[in-house]
Amino acid sequence: MSGPQRKNLFKIEPFKQRVELDPNYSDKAWKILEHAIHEIYSHNASGLSFEELYRNAYHMVLHKYGEKLYNGLVCSMTCHLREISKCIEAAYGVLFLEELNRKWVDHNKALQMIRDILMYMDRTYVPTSQKKTVHDLGLKLWRDIIIHSRNIQIRLLDTLLDLIYKERTGEVINRGLMRNVTKMLSDLGISVYQDDFEKTFLDASSSFYCGESQKFIECCDCGQYLIKAEKRLTEEIERVSHYLSSSSEEKITNVVEKEMIANHMQRLVHMDNSGLVNMLIHDKYDDLGRMYSLFRRVSGGLVTIRDVMTFHLRETGKQLVMDSEKLRDPVEFVQRLLDERDKHDTIITQAFNNDKTFQNALNSSFEYFINLNNRSPEFISLFVDDKLRKGLKGVNEEDVEMVLDKVMMLFRYLQEKDVFEKYHKQHLAKRLLAGKTVSDDAERSLILKLKTECGYQFTSKLEGMFTDMKTSQDTMQGFYASQISDSGVGPTLVVHVLTTGSWPAQPSIPCNLPAEILGVCEKFKAYYLGTHTGRRLSWQTNMGSADLKATFGKGQKHELNVSTYQMCVLMLFNTSEQLTYTEIEQATEIPPQDLKRCLQSLACVKGKHVLHKNPMSKEIAEDDKFYFNDNFSSKFYKVKIGTVAAQKESEPEKQETRQKVEEDRKPQIEAAIVRIMKSRRVLEHNNIVLEVTKQLQSRFLPNPVVIKKRIESLIEREFLERDKNDRKLYRYLA
Amino acid sequence: MHKIGRGHREKVQQFMAITGATDKAAIQSLKASDWHLEGAFDIYYTQLQIRAVTDSKLLEELYRRYKDPYAEMIMADGITLLCSDLQVDPQDIVMLVLSWHMKAATMCEFSRQEFIGGLQTLGVDSIDKLREKIPLMRAEMKDDQKFGDIYYFSFGWAKEKGQKSLALDTAIGMWQLLFAEKCWPLMDNWCQFLKVKHNKAISRDTWCQLLEFFKMIDPTLSNYDAEGAWPYLIDEFVEYLVENGLAHLP
Repeated sequence: MSGPQRKNLFKIEPFKQRVELDPNYSDKAWKILEHAIHEIYSHNASGLSFEELYRNAYHMVLHKYGEKLYNGLVCSMTCHLREISKCIEAAYGVLFLEELNRKWVDHNKALQMIRDILMYMDRTYVPTSQKKTVHDLGLKLWRDIIIHSRNIQIRLLDTLLDLIYKERTGEVINRGLMRNVTKMLSDLGISVYQDDFEKTFLDASSSFYCGESQKFIECCDCGQYLIKAEKRLTEEIERVSHYLSSSSEEKITNVVEKEMIANHMQRLVHMDNSGLVNMLIHDKYDDLGRMYSLFRRVSGGLVTIRDVMTFHLRETGKQLVMDSEKLRDPVEFVQRLLDERDKHDTIITQAFNNDKTFQNALNSSFEYFINLNNRSPEFISLFVDDKLRKGLKGVNEEDVEMVLDKVMMLFRYLQEKDVFEKYHKQHLAKRLLAGKTVSDDAERSLILKLKTECGYQFTSKLEGMFTDMKTSQDTMQGFYASQISDSGVGPTLVVHVLTTGSWPAQPSIPCNLPAEILGVCEKFKAYYLGTHTGRRLSWQTNMGSADLKATFGKGQKHELNVSTYQMCVLMLFNTSEQLTYTEIEQATEIPPQDLKRCLQSLACVKGKHVLHKNPMSKEIAEDDKFYFNDNFSSKFYKVKIGTVAAQKESEPEKQETRQKVEEDRKPQIEAAIVRIMKSRRVLEHNNIVLEVTKQLQSRFLPNPVVIKKRIESLIEREFLERDKNDRKLYRYLA
Repeated sequence: MHKIGRGHREKVQQFMAITGATDKAAIQSLKASDWHLEGAFDIYYTQLQIRAVTDSKLLEELYRRYKDPYAEMIMADGITLLCSDLQVDPQDIVMLVLSWHMKAATMCEFSRQEFIGGLQTLGVDSIDKLREKIPLMRAEMKDDQKFGDIYYFSFGWAKEKGQKSLALDTAIGMWQLLFAEKCWPLMDNWCQFLKVKHNKAISRDTWCQLLEFFKMIDPTLSNYDAEGAWPYLIDEFVEYLVENGLAHLP
């Protein structure tokens, strides 16, 4: 017994006597387990005791016999699988796959049980010795022994592909079985699925579709082919969802896309009588939509469609604008343009998913061919004139806006917008002066649109014209108020006072007005100049009109609506029975070109023979004789003989207008050059050309040669000089 | 002296010390030689020589010999006389070079200032001495720099007083005269082209640019550049040559 400081420690000594395990214990244990595995594989598992087996396995591992257990397991399982393999190989035909599937299911069940039994080994021995778990081992062995066995491997692959082929050719196959088998392959590892099935599957599909597409393309037209291709594509996607791994979807669709679409793209698009162009012409929205969605899947598909469409548009457009037949009626021509545009716009919206790149292609094509014909600006203006004169009569506001918006679309395509401006001004002037516009609101709406598009400068003169018309009305009121004392005597005069500069320049030599008219005109002139000092008025006798009350031979009265020139001519017949051309010319002093036209409309137009001409030919000759047609008759009281509305210009007139436009452009170019040089001070020739083009492109496309000439003119006038060292450089001279 | 840098100031002082010139003359000579002392000496002594050599009285006499009886200028008759004294043809290019030395404003007339100043520059005060200078003047046409100066000078000299452009016939005559010894193969084509296609006066810019064209562009047009900012008349000339198969564009 120790002292009071020392504690009494109770020690428990370990068992000195080792309990030795029975050296045969491991063998015995293994025998039990081996037998159990055998029973499991023979579907006799019900008689086994889970507890006992687990305990045996546990002890083996505990007493360091894990390796023996593991190796034993490998051996045993290998044996059993070899047996199974023979079974499977023995199966015939269709049964092969079923047998394989069945055995696989069995194996999985067995594996599950074995794993449960050997769970301790899985958790302790396996990680430390870096071996596969029971489950993984089971899969690996299955793969090595069964799947990769020479016979089975090939047979499995062939069977699967064969079934797929059968299904593709219309037979019904067992999809559930397929699904199980492919799932088995996936479970064995993605590389197993890919190497033992997918790769070959894709190759086989590739040759299948290669052949199929060849067959179809020989016998189908484009639309039919596309339907078939679409069907196959859908089918493959469906197939994947039913019994293939989803990782295959993209790969198989790529195969189909390549074989059926990409390889035949050009041929399909260019197919005679059924290709893209045919579809476009006949508005085959379904076919086009299908083509779009299919071609979208392959690289370069949409580009192909777009290029062919662009080419087709440009060709059709080019033909349209160069075809002299179609150009005879400008209004028809422009309507055709609008129709073509609408048509293709609808195609893009309906079939091409409103794809912006296609919209752009449409716009650029139109821009290309509209500008091939340099009369396009004139024709568009004539179209507008027709609409505003009568085409839009009675149309509601919304529809009017729609038509004008469409016109604006065409306007935007024009490169020579300043030419359009010139013609629009001319035509507008005629409309306003003849009082022939369908709706003031429509006119103003169009001007507003032009202003938004091109700026204030473009439309300021047009607006000036409207203002003049309004002001003239007020002036007339004032005039008549001041003439009350004279009312009732003489003809009624209506005057439009036009500000020079706003209206198209028309130098006119005044003709000899009849005495009655002259009197009233003088009165007006006096009145006007009385209220507006410092102004000068000149009568534009080529732009006026008159209403004449005429009494004919049998007493029939008519009111004739004629131009001022025609009035002068007719009034002569108040005092003469018969007049020759020369006499008329001398008396009226109307310019010969205009006089001839005027006489033609009075004497040569059916139903409007106010005058007789001797001889009766259509051409006017110097010694033709004219006399009043007493026998003139018409259904209507009011007869309109005025010279016609705006029409497309004759060659010489066209040349004249074009020359004026070119002249107008010169100062604009010069102003742009000066502006640019003032801010840049020194600039190279090519850069000046670029900048000028950029500044002016909203109105017209300047010709580089003209720009060069303007630069030289500016050098002459000492606004610019060439740099002394670099002759391509110009300097601004302040 | 304020505007001259320190380094330059030293040179001026050096110059003055060596030559005994006034500071004004020193600065002038140095500026003219781009501030190289050696060159400045050359210029200074040449000028001295000239001034020294020419006798103003003789020059006055000469002037009076040729001057027009009714005007303070040497006019056409005087010039004809001068030419015969010099034994040269009035159309001879030497007369142009002479006019250039005189900085004459217009052809076919010399002012007193121009006549006397020109002869002084040449360092002559008699007809004989002037005649001796003729080969030298001819040689000047061969010098590229001087030829260029003479060429640019000719435009202003040949055109009518008060006009901006040079009449076509005169221009063609001048070109043929100036380029007589240059042997430019395209000269005839150029004149032909102008007569046929242009038929209007020639602007100064076109005149000057033609010399550039001659200097820079190969007669076969192999190095012609359409983007070269040439005057449009020259562009048209090139087109004309191509159209008539006289040249091909690269």
